[in-house]
This record gives sequence, C-alpha cells and structure tokens, in this order.
Amino acid sequence: MTPLTLAPLLLDAVGEFLRPSTLAGIALEGLSLAALYVMITAGLTLIFGLMGVLNFAHGALTMIGAYLGGLVTVLLVGTGAGDPLRFAAFFLAVLVTFGALAALGGAMEVSLIRPIYDRPPLYQILLTFGVTLILEELARIVLLFYGIQPISDWQEALSTRPAVLGESLALGSVSVDGLALFEILFGVLTVAGVWAFLTRTRYGLYVRAGSEDGEMLSALGVNVRRVFTVVFALGTGLAGVAGVLLAWDANWAASVPLAAETLLPAFVVVIVGGLGTFRGTVVAALLVGLTDATMTWWFQNHVAFTGLPEITVFLVLVVMLIVRPQGLFGVSEVGGH
Amino acid sequence: MYKLLVNSPLSGEFVAVLPEVEAMIAVLYFGLFAMSFDFISGYTGYLSFGHAAFYGTGAYLTVLVANGKLAVTLPVVGTVLGSQTSFMVLLLLAGLFAALLALVIGSVSFRLSGVYFAMITLGFSQVLYVFVRDWDFVSSAPRDGVAVTGRTSGFQIGVPFVDQLNLAVGVLAGDEVALLGEAITFSTTDVSYYMIGVVVLVSYFVMQRLVHSPFGRVMIAIRENEERARAIGYDTYRYKLGAFAISGFFGGVAGALFAAFRRSVTPENGFYFLVAGDALLASIIGGFGTLVGPLYGRLFDETVREFLSKSGSGGGLLPWLRATVPEGVLQMDLVGGVTVAEAIDTFLNGHAELYVGIMFVLFVLYVPNGLLGTLRDRAGGTLATAGIPALRRWFR
Repeated sequence: MTPLTLAPLLLDAVGEFLRPSTLAGIALEGLSLAALYVMITAGLTLIFGLMGVLNFAHGALTMIGAYLGGLVTVLLVGTGAGDPLRFAAFFLAVLVTFGALAALGGAMEVSLIRPIYDRPPLYQILLTFGVTLILEELARIVLLFYGIQPISDWQEALSTRPAVLGESLALGSVSVDGLALFEILFGVLTVAGVWAFLTRTRYGLYVRAGSEDGEMLSALGVNVRRVFTVVFALGTGLAGVAGVLLAWDANWAASVPLAAETLLPAFVVVIVGGLGTFRGTVVAALLVGLTDATMTWWFQNHVAFTGLPEITVFLVLVVMLIVRPQGLFGVSEVGGH
Repeated sequence: MYKLLVNSPLSGEFVAVLPEVEAMIAVLYFGLFAMSFDFISGYTGYLSFGHAAFYGTGAYLTVLVANGKLAVTLPVVGTVLGSQTSFMVLLLLAGLFAALLALVIGSVSFRLSGVYFAMITLGFSQVLYVFVRDWDFVSSAPRDGVAVTGRTSGFQIGVPFVDQLNLAVGVLAGDEVALLGEAITFSTTDVSYYMIGVVVLVSYFVMQRLVHSPFGRVMIAIRENEERARAIGYDTYRYKLGAFAISGFFGGVAGALFAAFRRSVTPENGFYFLVAGDALLASIIGGFGTLVGPLYGRLFDETVREFLSKSGSGGGLLPWLRATVPEGVLQMDLVGGVTVAEAIDTFLNGHAELYVGIMFVLFVLYVPNGLLGTLRDRAGGTLATAGIPALRRWFR
C-alpha cells in the first residue's frame, strides 16, 4: 500500500474513532476492564503496601476463587432459575469465597511467610512462586478427579450468569453490555469498600501507619504480626472475590491458566500505579483499562495483529518505568527495596 | 552405566529411579540455561524473571534459520546465512543475538532494582512471548510453535567444515557412532548427549572463568552492597549490563541446543515466563550463586519429576507401584469409594509440578543455600579445594 492510498484510510479510521458513540463505547469497555483490573489488583497492593511482600501466588488464588465461586453458583442455581436467584447466588458465592480464601491466606502467612520476614525480599517472591505451583497443580488434580475441564473455560459456571447480563442495554445512542455495567458497579463498590476500610476503621489506620513505619507502630503497642496476618487474609480474600467476578466473564472464565492470565496484568497495574499505594492502583487500573480498550478497538478494526492489545498493556508498563520508575503515586524504593 | 544398572537384578527399582538418557540431555541444555540465569541473578542479585526471552530467542533463531526463513546472501561471499549454515556458527549467532537483546532490555531495566527489576524483565519477555505467539512470519500457526522442516540432517556440533570432527544431534536425525570396531556403539541419543555435553561444559568453563575473574568479583560486590561498589569507583551500571549480556549469550546458546535437539520450539516452551521459573527452581534447589549448582538442581528436579510422575516407558514410581503392589491392595477402598489404584493414579500421573512446588517451598524455607551451597558451607569452600582434604580426613 502506498502512502497516498493509506492516508485517506487512516483519516477515515480516525473519524470513526472520534465519533461520540464509538468513544463512549470504548470508554465503557475500558471502565469495565479497569474495574476488573482493580479487583484483581486490590489484594496484591494491600499486601505489598503494608508488608513489602510481592505475592506471586495472587493469580493462583484468584483462579481458586473463580472455581470456588463457580461451584457455589452451580450448586445453587438450577437450569430454570430466574435472575434474582442467580444474583443472590453470586453474592453468596462472593461471601463464601472471601471467607474461605481469607482463611487460606491467613494460614499461608502464619505458616510460610512469617518465618522469612528477616530474609531479603527476593525470598518472599520465590516462596510465593512455589506456592503458585502447588496451588495450580492441586487445582488440576481436584478438577481432573471430578471431571471438570481444568484448561479451557468452565462452561457450567459461565451458564449460571443471569440473562440480563448477557444482553446489550441501550444507554442513549450507545449500546452497553450488561455484564460490563455490572463489573463497573461491582468494581466501584469494592474500591469504596477498601477505601472505607483503610480510612474509616482502626485496622485501616494500623495498615496505613504500618506501611509508613512498621517498627514505630509496634513500639506504640500494636501487634504488628496480627495486623500482617489480617491484611494478608484480606488481600487473598479480595483475590478470591475477583475470581468470582471473572467466572461470569466469557473473556476470562474459570480455568487453571487464569492464574497466569490475571497475575501478569495485575503486576502491570500495581507497578504503573506505584507499588503499594491503593490510590495509584485505582488510577493505574483506569489508565491501563482505557488504553487496553482503545488499542483493542484499533487493532480489531484497522490493524491486523491479534496480539497487540496484550502487548500494549506491557508497553504502558515499560514506558512508565522509563519515565517514572517508582510509578504514578509510588515513593521510590518502597520498603527499602 | 545406565544399561548395566538396568540389567542388574534390581532392574525394576533402577528403572523406577534412574532418569533416561533423553532426560539427561534435557538436564544438560536446561542446566546451561539455569546456569546463565544464575550467572546474572545469583551473582549480582538482580532477579531476571524474564530470562526466557534469551532462551526463546536462541531457539527460534535456530529453527528459523534452519527453515531458510532468515537467509542472508552477500554478493561476493555467497550465502552467509541459510538453511545449511553450520550449527556451530548458528550457536554463536544465537548467543550474540540474545546478548544484543540483553543489552537492549538491560539498558532500560538496570535503571531499576529489586522487585521492579524482576517485574520489568518479566514484562519484556512477556511482550516477546505474545509477539512470537501471534507473528505469522514464524509459521502459519504461530501459536503451535514451529518445527524444523528445511533441514533433514541433524545439527552438527564440532569443528565447522571438518567432517570427521562433526557429530549431529537430534532425537531422530542424529549420528550413530561405533568405536573399537563395534565393541561400543553409541545410539543417536547417546551421541547427542555427549556432544551437547561438550558445549555445555565449554560454556560452563567460560562462565566459571568469568566469575573468578576481577569482573566476577565486581558482580559479587554489586550483590553484597551496590552502593559501596559504586563508592569505590566501579561503574556498576556497566558491569551489570555486561554481566547481563554475557548471561543472555549463554541463555541463547542453551536455547539453540534445545531447539537443535528437539527440532521444534513453541512459544510455551521457549518464551513463556514459566520457563524462566523452571530455571529459578533449578537455581534455588542447586544453590543460588554457585555457578554449577543449577545443573545439579535441574538434575534433582528432573529426577523427582521422572520418579514421581512418569507414566510412560522411563520408569518411575507409578509403573513400579502398579507392578509391585498386590491386586488386593489396589482394589481396597480408601475414602468414599475411591480405590487405592485410583488414588495412586490421580496423584502420580503427570502431576510432578505439585511435588516440585512442595520441594521448592521446603528448599526456600529450610535450605536457602541449595544443595551445592549447603555442601560448600559444610566443607568450607568449593568441593574441589575443601572437599578432597575433608574426605581424606574422613577416611584416615
């Protein structure tokens, strides 16, 4: 193609891109992605912010959350069930999963991570990486044993989705996926919840104080070890809740590879936002989500290369690290490393 | 040796425990990759989580050149690079290409440290992974990887252009060699084993030489206290970059060996970040910061995998249990109608990752120096210098 024929095509594409309905569609798509990113990253950033532990097992915990949540909804929802029951089952699944994974996370912190706080931070990455391998393989064994497909999406959990989330709703001139709206709503609620926990509760105060100066906090008589355990449990619980939400999204869905699929964007978001700052995570999720949606639109409609949206997410990371290595809201050298 | 043990009275047990030659070849080339990972991460303390980028680059370069996709023809010299390029040249080229890539990645990444460095290298390798997975230049179905199709003979390791000194490697397309008039015969896999072993050995000696040179001392100084190393006048950025490029070089060589032996490569076993994860596993188990440790680590790793989850011909616990445990016990009920045989099948058939993961966690918690590191600590130096006198004292 010569430049002369390429130019009008490009202009057309830009014109189509700048149309309000296209932009609004992309924005909503981006917001729903951002909501998902916030969901899968919130727990990671809480844990890193307070304890300086980069939890490599976060993705595996999300994957287990997806299966656990899927199990609860599949058990509760029959084929003929109406939407209200399906939603009720979802929120019950969220509660169950949060509780179960928080318990698992608490146990993990006490038994595995507590003994190695005094080692270099490298060892915590290594340890949680090992935990990922164990969790993934255990999930595989259990799923194979019960005849559930571990590699591809778990269709039965996907089919418990309420009918209303599968339709496109018209908002003015823009048609929106019902699921996207639900994800945005759920993401906003979670952000509000975590924010309220951090700023309105005593424990949130400890967490904020602990991420500034853990030694000082323990000198003031707070049991920092218990705070660590509680925060780790909360973080893993949030990972599980993210999994429950993903189990209804056909783009993600419950499967064993979900662990790696969520872990990598979660890292990107956490680093772009600045490791350990919750505000940074929210902003970064918005940034990455909107970039992702924009690029996906461009590469689906005007450039033929399927993998590029995925690459752009990482390019955001690389550009950010070159321009501002500590991330948007990060303080350089968080926790001394 | 393997055959001797396998034909001994305890053959069943030995088949179950010992790895096969194919597995040993994998130990060699992957051990080299793990060594190259340890060279940068174990000695400078920078965790290169995206090391698979170099392994994959080496592997893909080899396969692409062998398929004639990357051909360079100069007007006077003739074909410089084509499907029939000597494999030794390819090995060097794979290494150089990976080293170049390491310079590019490193020049950005070394502005960061600690967790950030690990993440950005992971990011780079993941970009390459997605890129290769969707690049239709590589093959018509890039997701499934690419096999060597343009070259029917094996890849020869030896002195280029001197036929007697070249022996080909490969699962199906290698050489067979008879020595002392048919008294000793090496099959294609045996030949591959020794030839790949030679390359790995040479690479190891080069890296070992570097580690013990002043350059290597600076690397260790960076690991121990980078600020102090900078304060006494070393340009640590340059040293780190140099070490990264060298590490990338050998990572590329390992990838080329892997592709030459397997005659194919996929995005999953070349570029995916878990490939670097396996190198990490080998390094931790063998000993972080002991150059040869990762090779032992990989051997240990591979042995455990073979032993605990081999369902096929190479032996392992599962076939052994099936053959040895009496039928009555196998049909016994465990919990909820699950028989012992089913339980054994569920837990031992192809789930090595579980045991490797558990082992890895235990190593991180209780043996942080790894196998070789712990042995060296006990002996008070490397095994060659401190171990032999210690052994002498033991036997006196």
